[in-house]
Amino acid sequence: MTEPNETPTRSTPPVRILGPIRILGIETSCDETAAAVIEDGVRICSSVVASQMATHGKYGGVVPELASREHLRAIVPIVRQAVEDAGLSYSQLDAIAVTQGPGLVGSLLGGLTYAKSLALALGKPLVAVNHLEGHIHAVILEEHLAGRPDPEFPALALVVSGGHTLLAVAERETKKDSVLSDSSAVFSYHILGRTRDDAAGEAYDKVAKLLGYGYPGGPVLDRLARHGNSGAVAFTKPKMKVTKTTKGNALDFSFSGIKTAVLRYVESHGLAEEIAERNSFRRENPTAGFDELLAHSSRTTLDLVASFQRAVVDDLVEHTLEAAEREGVNSIFVTGGVAANSLLRERFSRLRAGPPEPQPRGAPQVRATERWSAACPPVYFPRLSLSTDNAAMIAAAAFPKYLARQFAAWDVPPDASLALGQ
Amino acid sequence: MDARSIVTQSPEETIALGHELARELTPPVLVLLLGELGAGKTTLAKGLVAGLSAAPEEEVTSPTFTMIHEYAGRHNVARVYHVDLYRVESARELETLGLEDLLAERAVVIVEWGEKLGPAFRPSAPDRLIEIHLKTVSENERSIEIRAAK
Repeated sequence: MTEPNETPTRSTPPVRILGPIRILGIETSCDETAAAVIEDGVRICSSVVASQMATHGKYGGVVPELASREHLRAIVPIVRQAVEDAGLSYSQLDAIAVTQGPGLVGSLLGGLTYAKSLALALGKPLVAVNHLEGHIHAVILEEHLAGRPDPEFPALALVVSGGHTLLAVAERETKKDSVLSDSSAVFSYHILGRTRDDAAGEAYDKVAKLLGYGYPGGPVLDRLARHGNSGAVAFTKPKMKVTKTTKGNALDFSFSGIKTAVLRYVESHGLAEEIAERNSFRRENPTAGFDELLAHSSRTTLDLVASFQRAVVDDLVEHTLEAAEREGVNSIFVTGGVAANSLLRERFSRLRAGPPEPQPRGAPQVRATERWSAACPPVYFPRLSLSTDNAAMIAAAAFPKYLARQFAAWDVPPDASLALGQ
Repeated sequence: MDARSIVTQSPEETIALGHELARELTPPVLVLLLGELGAGKTTLAKGLVAGLSAAPEEEVTSPTFTMIHEYAGRHNVARVYHVDLYRVESARELETLGLEDLLAERAVVIVEWGEKLGPAFRPSAPDRLIEIHLKTVSENERSIEIRAAK
């Protein structure tokens, strides 16, 4: 983090002591343009998200050039709306927070440049936030919004989305010399595992595309999976090789193999024709709803989707529990777009609910690691609107940085591969 | 065009092949990886990037999301770029990527889904281009054909 005194162009901006602190957050790391105003890091005054899903849906994924152009088009009205919805004027903001990375560099650049310009013009400090840290703070924000006490730290965070799959321990240290005891916490992060190839959400997107279900893949595959037998197709578990030459560890993820396995299955079970039909059906009926897609899916395909979902979720849950046990954490956070997945939520909720009910015949067997539920720390999920990309989480993550006066330099660059804790 | 065909029996062997090939690369050079989903493009890229000492292989992940992963090179290689054209749909999108600019420096540019890179975007000097075609033979077996100027 760059200290403010390293920026020759200005002195340390004043930090307000009295009254609520209002931070405007701006998020443009991927295909959502988002802005939000958060008061004291805990109250959402406004949160606006403009998704480019309709634009990208045509292309089967996020197209970077489209993404940056859409951000440029959307950012001014989105920010204006966030400030208006909060019932504030720009001058009443205390700081501008913005995602520095990781993400698509062109998209990040748009948000960052706009945030810098706004901060300079208003004479407010700029706070640079790591997108992944934002996802972690979405969980803390959720608990505040629900009027529940803060989760206990250290917390293990599973951040899963279209671009990220990460296990990290989040620590919170309270600064003793501060007058603002509770809120002046400093967060630090330690990465335990991440994907070695594809992100979990990327696997969903690629599998949905190859099966002819379009983009984004997560929500549609999640719903289809409920109509198939998750025990129908056995996928080989990826084994994480840890050797002297590799720095990675057994908690790393790999979702490239399962994507290939789905493709092999499609080839060996003659699903190509059905997929081609589905693709042409979707082209002719671009507004087709879920039930129509379901009606255009064979039993074999539904079983394949259910088995795929189960394999991915198994992997996420098992790695998370292994990490939680190893690190002895007090909480588990599950966050990011894939945290909206119904099976993932169900599996983690069941851990807290005590021993699982006896399952009907044919249902997936409960794995050994899940018998560990008695010792499992509480699992926290943000609500859907905070799980997927949003700016409220960016402004919330910026609040402790604001109190700690961790402001960004004016020349802070976007960083497409910004690591957590740097 | 000089072509060599190699069959690898595991992802580890594909990575090892990348290491060997990396030693023979002279920048600036464009390495196109062609082949269907799961053919081993990212795996070979891991070996190439690691072989160039630009990053350990486990840190080389799929660039589908961010399009370009950039690494600092060593010795005579200034930068290593790992590009993924999976989501690119038009020539105009290719233009905005600026692959020619990347090649202007002493860089190794590795491009997945090289099928999408039309002749107009390929270097005119034949010794600046290596084409690698990957094919799935069986679950672990991959046939890898390397085409380069003599």
